[in-house]
This record gives sequence, C-alpha cells and structure tokens, in this order.
Amino acid sequence: FLGAGGGNDIQWCFSQVKGAVDDDVAEADIISTVEFNHSGELLATGDKGGRVVIFQQEQENKTQSHSRGEYNVYSTFQSHEPEFDYLKSLEIEEKINKIRWLPQKNAAQFLLSTNDKTIKLWKISERDKRPEGYNLKEEDGRYRDPTTVTTLRVPVFRPMDLMVEASPRRIFANAHTYHINSISINSDYETYLSADDLRINLWHLEITDRSFNIVDIKPANMEELTEVITAAEFHPNSCSTFVYSSSKGTIRLCDMRASALCDRHSKLFEEPEDPSNRSFFSEIISSISDVKFSHSGRYMMTRDYLSVKIWDLNMENRPVETYQVHEYLRSKLCSLYENDCIFDKFECCWNGSDRQVEFSSLCTSDLSSIVMTGSYNNFFRMFDRNTKRDITLEASRENNKPRTVLKPRKVCASGKRKKDEISVDSLDFNKKILHTAWHPKENIIAVATTNNLYIFQDKMN
Amino acid sequence: MLGKGGKRKFDEHEDGLEGKVVSPTDGPSKVSYTLQRQTIFNISLMKLYNHRPLTEPSLQKTVLINNMLRRIQEELKQEGSLRPMFVAASQPADPLSDNFREAQPAFSHLASPPLLPAELVSTMPLESCLTPASLLEDDTFCTSPAAQHDGPTKPPPPALQAAKDSFSSALDEIEELCPAPTSAEAVAADSAAGDSKAQPSESNLPKPEGLAESRTAEPKLMDPLPGNFEITASTGFLTDLTLDDILFADIDTSMYDFDPCTSATGAASKMAPVSADELLKTLAPYSSQPVTPNQPFKMDLTELDHIMEVLVGS
Repeated sequence: FLGAGGGNDIQWCFSQVKGAVDDDVAEADIISTVEFNHSGELLATGDKGGRVVIFQQEQENKTQSHSRGEYNVYSTFQSHEPEFDYLKSLEIEEKINKIRWLPQKNAAQFLLSTNDKTIKLWKISERDKRPEGYNLKEEDGRYRDPTTVTTLRVPVFRPMDLMVEASPRRIFANAHTYHINSISINSDYETYLSADDLRINLWHLEITDRSFNIVDIKPANMEELTEVITAAEFHPNSCSTFVYSSSKGTIRLCDMRASALCDRHSKLFEEPEDPSNRSFFSEIISSISDVKFSHSGRYMMTRDYLSVKIWDLNMENRPVETYQVHEYLRSKLCSLYENDCIFDKFECCWNGSDRQVEFSSLCTSDLSSIVMTGSYNNFFRMFDRNTKRDITLEASRENNKPRTVLKPRKVCASGKRKKDEISVDSLDFNKKILHTAWHPKENIIAVATTNNLYIFQDKMN
Repeated sequence: MLGKGGKRKFDEHEDGLEGKVVSPTDGPSKVSYTLQRQTIFNISLMKLYNHRPLTEPSLQKTVLINNMLRRIQEELKQEGSLRPMFVAASQPADPLSDNFREAQPAFSHLASPPLLPAELVSTMPLESCLTPASLLEDDTFCTSPAAQHDGPTKPPPPALQAAKDSFSSALDEIEELCPAPTSAEAVAADSAAGDSKAQPSESNLPKPEGLAESRTAEPKLMDPLPGNFEITASTGFLTDLTLDDILFADIDTSMYDFDPCTSATGAASKMAPVSADELLKTLAPYSSQPVTPNQPFKMDLTELDHIMEVLVGS
C-alpha cells in the first residue's frame, strides 16, 4: 500500500484537478461538500457561495483503455442564496453544508442540498430534443398571426444540443432553529432526516410543510448546555435505525420504533478517556466531526480531531479499531486552539463496495475495508483495515502528472528530519482537506482542497 | 567541548504551553501548568467575546469553549484561588493579601533571579504585561527565539502575547476584585445576558476583530506604569462595580440569544451601580485620554508611541 506496488495494493495516480489555479482563493469558491451519486457517474460539489457543480464521467473510451472516463462539468446551479434573519439581525450563510443523492428512479437525477437552515430537493434533467413545427408560433417563439395560417401540421421532436436543467422541486424550510450539519436519506427512499446542533427532524420527501422532531437535546435552561449534535446518519439497511454523534465524543443509536421522540438511545457508544493523554483539550479533540456507516451496516466509522475509529454496532464500550491520522499534532493543540484549527471538521469515507475489494473481503466479512480522511498541508490519509497499512498522499498541482503514481508523504514529528519528510512546523494549516469522497464502485476518489477538486484513480494496467 | 552537565530543565519543559498537561502538583511544573491554564483561559475568553461575526457563531464552538472555561474555573475554585493569576511582581502591601497568598508562591519563582530555566523567565511577560516599555526591550521573551512555543502557526510576536493579555488581565483585575465567587461565570453570564445597563465606557476597552487588529488596538490601552496596578488593585471602590458596566457596554446582544451562557437571572450577584468617578478611576489605565485632573497616571503620548513601536513595529 505504501506505493510498493505489491499484490492488491492500490496505486493512486493523479487524474484531474478542477478549479482556479491562482493562490488567491475567492471565499465563494471554497468547496464545502463533495459527493458521488449512487452509480458514480455523477460527482457533485457544493461551495461557500451556495453553488452546486455536478461533474459527469465520460463514457469509457474504448481506445484509451488505460484510464477511466474523465469527469467534466455537467451542470452548475445556484442552490442557495444568502438570507437575512431580521429577528436576530444575522445573515444566514448560503454555504452548502451537505449534498446527498437520491437513487435514480427515472431519467432525471435528484439530490438534496442544504445550507444552515433550508434543505432543497433539486431535479437535474437532460433535454436533448425539442418540439419544432408549431402552428401558431414561429421557431423563435414569436406568435404568428392566425390569419396567415393556411395549413396545419403536427409538431415533431427534433434533436438539439444537450441542455442540463436543474430545478428546485421541494423546499424544506423553517424547521431548524440551529445550524443544520447533516442530512441523511433513509433506506426506504421516502424519508430523510436533517440534524442541527440540538435537534433532528424527520421529513417525507413529498411533504414540505411538516416535519417530525425525533431527537431534541435542547435543555430547558440554555445555560446548562454542554453538548451538541455534530452528525447524524440513517442505517443503510434498517429504516428505523439512525445514529447521531456529539461534541463529547459519544454516538447514540436510536430506534424510531421505540418512541416518537427518540430522546432515549438504544445504544450509547463511548470510549473511556485514556488518562495518559489527558489535557485541557481532551474534550474538544474528542468531538466527533463525521459518522459513516459501513456498507453492510455492521460497522460505523467516526472521525474526531486526531483519529478515525471503527465501531462494531454490537460493542458499545470501545471501538474495534483506531487509526491515528496526525498524532504529531497532539503536542500542538494549544496553538491549534488559538488559531481555531482545532475546530476544523474533517470528514471520512469508506472505499467503494465493489469488486476491487474482493481480496480484502476474504479477510473480513465486510466490504468496507479502507477508510480515507483528510489532514493539513493538503495531505490525505488512507488506512487499510486488513493489511493495517496506511499511506499519506498529497493533493497538489506540483508533481502531478496523469498516470504517475503518487508519492507517499511523511511528516516528521520530531528529531532528525529525513530527506523528503516534512516537519510538523512546516505544515500549512490553511491547506486543509476536509472533504473526500470515494466512487461507489471503482477506485476513483475525489479530494477537495480549499478551492480545488482533485480526482485520483488507481493505476490500471 | 560540552561538559556532561545534568539535563537542563528547559529540555523537559520544551513543549511548555504546548505539551501535555504537567501534573499540577510537582514543583516548578506547577507554574508551567498554571501558566498553561491561564493562557488557555485567556484565549478562551478572547474567543468568546472578541468574535463579532455577521452570521451566528457556531454553537458547537461556543459550547466547547464555554466548557473549557467552566472546567478551568472549577479547577481554580477547587484550588482555592478564585481569580486567575496576574502580576504580583511588586506588591508589598497587598490589600487583598488573603487571596494573593495563594498566587504569591507561584510567582516567587518568576521573581527570582536567573537560575530559572529560560522558559519560565521568558513566559513572565504573559503575566506582567503592564511593564514599562523600557523593560520590554530588555525582556528575554522578546529577544530569545527559543522562547517561542507556538508550533505550526507563525508565533505571534511577544508583543502580541502581551497585548492580548492586557485585555484579559484587565478582566482578571476586575474579576478578582468582584466578590462574586464565580467571577468567570459572571463574566460569561453578564456579557451574554445582554445587559443594557452597561456603560458606554466599554468602548475604551479593546474589542479587536482579529488578532491583527488587536495588535494595533491593544497598545493604546496598555498602561506602561506598573504603579497603576497598585492603585486599581486597592480595595474599596472596585468591589461594588458590575462587570456589565465596565466591560460590556454596547455589545450587540441579539447574537447571544442562543449563547449557552445566557443567564436571564444572572449567576453572579448583581452589585450596586457605581458612581461615575469610581468608574473613571478604574478605566484610567485603559484609556488613552486623561480621565480626571487628579488622575496621576495620565498616559504619556511619547511613551505611548514608544510602546507602539516596540509592540507593533519591530
């Protein structure tokens, strides 16, 4: 896995990079979410300016068998606009916090996108034909004088240049007092949940004027508030089960069949604190920034500031595996607290669930065997659960030629720095990779730096 | 040729503020622990009250910072000292000696001569930020790069450290003189309670938008004369001040509606309003204008320029 090219290890190569080249980053261009659709053909990104850009994978080129199709812009639209809350005299950011795709049911594609307050269901449809030959209208749309019509004809559809249209089909608003951090579509494909800092609501995709509150952790006296909800997700197979994580490092699993308001969890996942690692920042770094179920639903993965943990849903008292993402930051927590980096919310993702992991699946009974997450200095990390090997790669325009295998990076925590290693003090903490996504079926990954989207794929031979 | 001397303490505490928490019970490391705690406390306060975003601040961040403050405060309470430490450098006739006794031993380390590890000496400015400009120049913290503990981020110039703390030491100073047991809580609660009876004098106190701005804003408000500290530290007139009056005059309170520290009733005991004179006296150190004619410690403008040069320029 460490680029040695042995056996079934994946060798990652640079494929494409999208976005502006200049170092001066426009605030609106900051990427805030990345998500593949269920087939992997479409890749959506949301940014701070409220825009959604969807890339589509080219059909595989028969002549170029050594690379998979490239992703090109398919559709761009303004999903959310900035709003003003007059009651509180505050702006509501248009930044897209999350995008989730619905599985495809017909020719059109549907996705949910959300900012801090409002969720929208967008329909993305193609138009490649248009009717021509109207009787009362000219081709350019001007109306004809009816008295000039002497014959009648039936309009016919003729091909036209492909046009991709995005239209908002549902707007789910006014259900969240606090900032929405997660949306998750249920396995019934009819309902979905949205979670803010203190509450989780259940929606039906068809109904916008009503939503059911299923979790509420707001205390009667706000002064007593010490914990907030940080992420939530539905179980991939069980439509009545969901989990939510908190700022204190706990995950609660709830069953909606138990009661209408799931204030009492069915399971509470929490790892006891390691006393040798106690510091002022223990609580802050334990805050979970992302939670993702494995494909089978037997495991879930959580990301806190320094590590990724894999939990077996059958064991609540500790994770089954823990992977250190950037342990060398542990001695820098005070500075990271001061410059707010300690509050960065890194996401994590599983590998895709198809044939390339069949070797791994012999070892575990779960197809989810590799986890990926971001770090600083535009580094991102992958951990192979089976081989227990890990790798650090960098998303940068330098030294990235197509089909050249990415060079593994190494951070030197202390002591003598070897050649090609980077010392902790040289890391650029403004270059953070918070959002990554893995193609559901192939070894293609999308990695978002501040304002660029990198696509890497494995070396095909 | 280096001798085989004993390992310098500096190496042990190299991480200083950054490293794992040192046990609060061992000797000199107790100072480093309390120093670390103090710094984190100050940083936390700055984060909560300096941020004036156009959008609602992140509730998660606010809650985590608030928890941090509460935890430190609990610790302080348990240790018996209710106030964050501040300079006790030269306070012979300390009127609040009861409460200072706790802090004094800790500081005696700092006051003692050069046998101290370089790191401890160099962190002194964090506490004694109201030192005369002339001392600042001689200060090892300013001149020794080894004293910079900050890791990955560009370390702020020593002046910035000192400048930031002038605000927090102002808070400290006022807190320690308020009889409310949970002084830090009071600060938190009062600021968020949106108490509109706060005086306009708040504008004299720094409310920087960001670190960069605080660098320029703060020096104006730094008092170069240590003597002032004595005056303001004396008993009497400050005890019946409300924190709101001094500090949180014109905060836009709509932002704090969902602040977990919001206290409708107020955790701190409300103190009687103070007369304008008394207020002015306390504000003298933080104002660049002469407050009253009999105020003996007017800010000298040339000295002010000098300070600004030292802190901002170099």
